[in-house]
Formats: sequence, C-alpha cells, structure tokens
Amino acid sequence: MVSKLKKRENYLGWGFSSIYLIYTALFWGYPFVWLVILSFSKWNFFGTPKPVGFRNFVRLFTDPIFWRIFLNTVNFMVYFIPMVLILSMLFALALYKVNVFRTFFALSFLVANVSSGVAYSILFSNLFSESGPINSFLYKNFGFTVPWFSDPQLALLSIAIMVTWKFVGYYGLILFAGLNAIPKSLYEAAELDGATNWQKFWKITFPLINPALTTVLVFAVNLTFGIFTEPYMITGGGPMRRTLTFMMHIYSTAFQRMNPSYAASLAVITGLLSYGCVLLVRFLVEREVSLV
Amino acid sequence: MTRSKRFPYITFTILFIASLIWIYPYFWLLFSSFKPTSEIYTRFWPTKFTLEHYRFIFFMSDKLQRPFVRALLNSIFISVTITFMVVVSSAFFGFALSKLDFKGKKAVFNFILFQMLFPGFMFIVPLFVLIKNLGLLNTYSAIILPSIISAWGSFMFAQTFKSIPNDYIEAAKIDGANTFWIVTRVMFPLARSTASIVGLFTFIGAWDNFMWPLIVMKDYNKMPLSVLLASFNHEYSSYVGPILAGSVIQTIPMVLIFLIFRKYFLQGISVSLK
Repeated sequence: MVSKLKKRENYLGWGFSSIYLIYTALFWGYPFVWLVILSFSKWNFFGTPKPVGFRNFVRLFTDPIFWRIFLNTVNFMVYFIPMVLILSMLFALALYKVNVFRTFFALSFLVANVSSGVAYSILFSNLFSESGPINSFLYKNFGFTVPWFSDPQLALLSIAIMVTWKFVGYYGLILFAGLNAIPKSLYEAAELDGATNWQKFWKITFPLINPALTTVLVFAVNLTFGIFTEPYMITGGGPMRRTLTFMMHIYSTAFQRMNPSYAASLAVITGLLSYGCVLLVRFLVEREVSLV
Repeated sequence: MTRSKRFPYITFTILFIASLIWIYPYFWLLFSSFKPTSEIYTRFWPTKFTLEHYRFIFFMSDKLQRPFVRALLNSIFISVTITFMVVVSSAFFGFALSKLDFKGKKAVFNFILFQMLFPGFMFIVPLFVLIKNLGLLNTYSAIILPSIISAWGSFMFAQTFKSIPNDYIEAAKIDGANTFWIVTRVMFPLARSTASIVGLFTFIGAWDNFMWPLIVMKDYNKMPLSVLLASFNHEYSSYVGPILAGSVIQTIPMVLIFLIFRKYFLQGISVSLK
C-alpha cells in the first residue's frame, strides 16, 4: 500500500516535471543550442549556417563599434551607479527617519518604477526637448538651455537621469528594508558612547547594510547591460553613436542588417561581460555580515 | 530614561519636495494629454481642458492604420493570458517541487536555479529563429508562448509551499481530494501573497515588454500597445498631443494594478512600512 502510494507520487512528480522540461527544452534548450551554433558560424537567416570557428569573435574585438559600445556602457555606469546609489541611500535614510506619511512617500517614488518603458521614454523626450518645460524653465530663470539629447556627451547622462528617476524608489526601498534589519540597540549603545550621526552611519549603518547594497549594485549592473527601449525611442543610438548600447546593436545587427550569427556572438560576449561585472561587484563590495 | 526625539522637520520637508519632484513628470504627462496643442510646452496649468487628443486616439487613429483601441485590447489579451498561465503553471510546478517526493527532484530544482542564471537577452536571436521555424511570426502565439512558463515563478511557489505544513495535504487527502483539488483549493489560497507577487511582476513585465513584440510582430492589427505607440511616435512625431494621450493610456493599467496590489509589491521586495 505504502509503496504503491510512493510509486504514484513518483509518477505524478515526473508528470509535472516532464511538462516543465519539455517546454523548457523547446523554448530554452533549442535556442541555447542555436545560440552556440550561430556564434561560431556565418548565417543570414537562409540556408544552413556555415561554420567559421572563432572568426565572429575575432571580428568583434577588432570592431571599433564594439569598443564604442563598451565605452558607452562603462560611461553609463559611471553616471548611473553613483547617482542612483547616493539618491536611493538618501531616500532610504530619510524614510527611516520620518515615520509619518511613509506610504505616501514610498508610493510616490515607487510609482516611477512601474512606468512603461515606451511611455516614459516619450514623456522624457518631451520634458527634455529643446523647447520643453525643463528648458523653458531654465531659459526663463537662468537664461540658458541644455541640449539634453542632442549633445553627444549629455545624451548618455540624460538617459542615466531618466533611468535613475525610474529606479530610485525601488532600490531605495530595498535599502530601507536593509536599514530596518539593523538592531536598534546598536544605535542606542553608540549614542551612550557619544557617537555622532556621521560616525554612526559609517561605523554601524554602512557595514551592516552591505547585503542590501550588494543586491542593489547587482541589479544596477544587470540593468545597464539590458538597456534598449530608452535609446531606441529617443536617440536611436546617436548622436555620434554615443548612446548605442549592446542590446540596440544586437537588435540592429540581427534584424536590420540581417546578420544573426554576428549578433549571437555579440549576445554571448554581452552575457559574459555582465556576468563578469556582477562577479567583480560581489568580489569588491560583498562582505560577510554577522552580528556577534 | 526616555529618549525624546524631535520631529525631523527638515528631513520631512526635503522628502516631501523630493516626492513632488518625482511625481511631477506623471502629472505633466497627464495634464498635457488634456491641453490644447499650443499649450503643451508653454503652460503647466492649461487655460482649458480638451478631450481632442483622446478623441483622435480612439476614433481617428484607425484611418492612419494605427488602431489604438485594438492595440489596447491586444495588450490586455496578451498580458492577461501570460499572467494567468504563469501563475497557474508555477503553482503546479511549485507544488511538485516542494510537496511531491520523486526521484530526481533535486536535479530538476537545481536545473531551474541554473536556468535563472542566464539573462533573457542572450536568447533573443535564437528564439526568433525558433518562432520563425515554427511559422509563428506575426501571431499572438509568438509573443505569448515563450513566456507562459516561468522558472522564477515556479521557484517562488516552491519556496512558499515548503513552509506550509503537510498536515493540510494529509487532511485533504483523507477527505478524498485529488491533486488538482489540493493545489487549487488548499495550497493556492494559502499562498495568495506569492500568487499576487508572481502575477503582479509577470503582468507588468508582459505589459511593458517592448523589444520582443517589436521583433516578432509587424502586423499593426495584432500589435500590443507598446509597439504601436512606439511606431506612431516615430512616424507621426508632430502629433504630440495624441502621442502623450497614448502614453497615458499605456501607463494607466500598470499604475492602477500597482496601486491595487501595492501591499504585495512591497512584500515582493520584503519591505514593511509599519
């Protein structure tokens, strides 16, 4: 009787698992194999892929556009990560200190996070446009305007500002959850010893919030490599290819220039770069936190 | 020893102003969609409110081969189908992975974790090849099929079900319930917050998905709103008012669903505001 039940459970478990595995074999395994084949072949959507060894990768690393995108990505991280980290940290600290209207504050920052990629790109391209409200405000009060999306250097910064607007609430609340996990008694003990707010932040808060901080950093790095909608909608990769991203280049190489094999190698390299970046962040930032 | 903390007036004021700045773009968008075209860039508070942009979107856009109403219905259909399928399938897979005892369970579970390591963008080109080989380009299936089963959703349900005592299942079995009944009527209601989290994030992801439908859908009648709005913005960029009205329509469902399920959104990132 017992063994019969066990057998039934075994069948049932494999029944469910096989549905999952068959689906995954089709929509994940099959593309996975194609990704590997394509990245080592030459193909233009027709006929059979012709194997070319590592030629795609060699071409990739000697392609000035690839290095331009690489620099753009680094440049974006240099703008985006400090900006979003500092602002979301300040948001989390302020929310921690203020204990009225918390829901209102949290929601007004979080609602930016559920904006649709297309809609908020349209919104910001209008807000920041040459005669848009931000520029006319600047012109009226300070007598100058800023070419947000048409200046090669500023365009990337403007996109970083948009993305920061979108993610400060989300990241801030992750940090806020981290703050709440720190025992209050530590602060009380530090106050008894006469610690200043500055000391309390750097000696207690900052080390103990490390897990939340690592999470936020990993999210921010992953997001950087996936950016597509904003530059596609607003700048089209310009001016002077300064807002071209990996995702945009994969898209245009595969579906506009009809070179899916080259795009596949680019996707592999992008995946490896983002994984490497995440590992680097973990290695540099992540620390074991334990309360003794 | 009582610590009397002053109310943090300065922090409160700064936070208040900052949150107004943060929602300003939304209000600008909302007001602008009701402004006469000449006032969109020049005034924050319009001299009169007009519905002309919405009238254009709902009644005139068909004539430009950009059927907005249809696109809105497409988006609703696609997102609701994906969300429903993901929540239901994840509940069953989660149940199998946490409460059924079978050989190789550990291996399947580890495989799901392994799958989550790979970012989705790596598969875009080969997935397109698959959809093309299956002859599904320009169909709803091209958008829906690749996302009806979610490794992340199954993982979330498995983790929640693990913490539910087996007594519930035993009791239901004694009453003669079958597996389908146990999952849908016993386990699912106990995991309602997980279901909401999985559903909310899946819906937002499906509604907001842009790159994939842009690649597989060239038929204006089957496009989701995000792609139609983007193409309208590219080709008719002088129609600023209708574009902004379209953006409002694209944004509203996400914001509404977020506001309704905000409690679960916060749970999803483990925040309590108490």
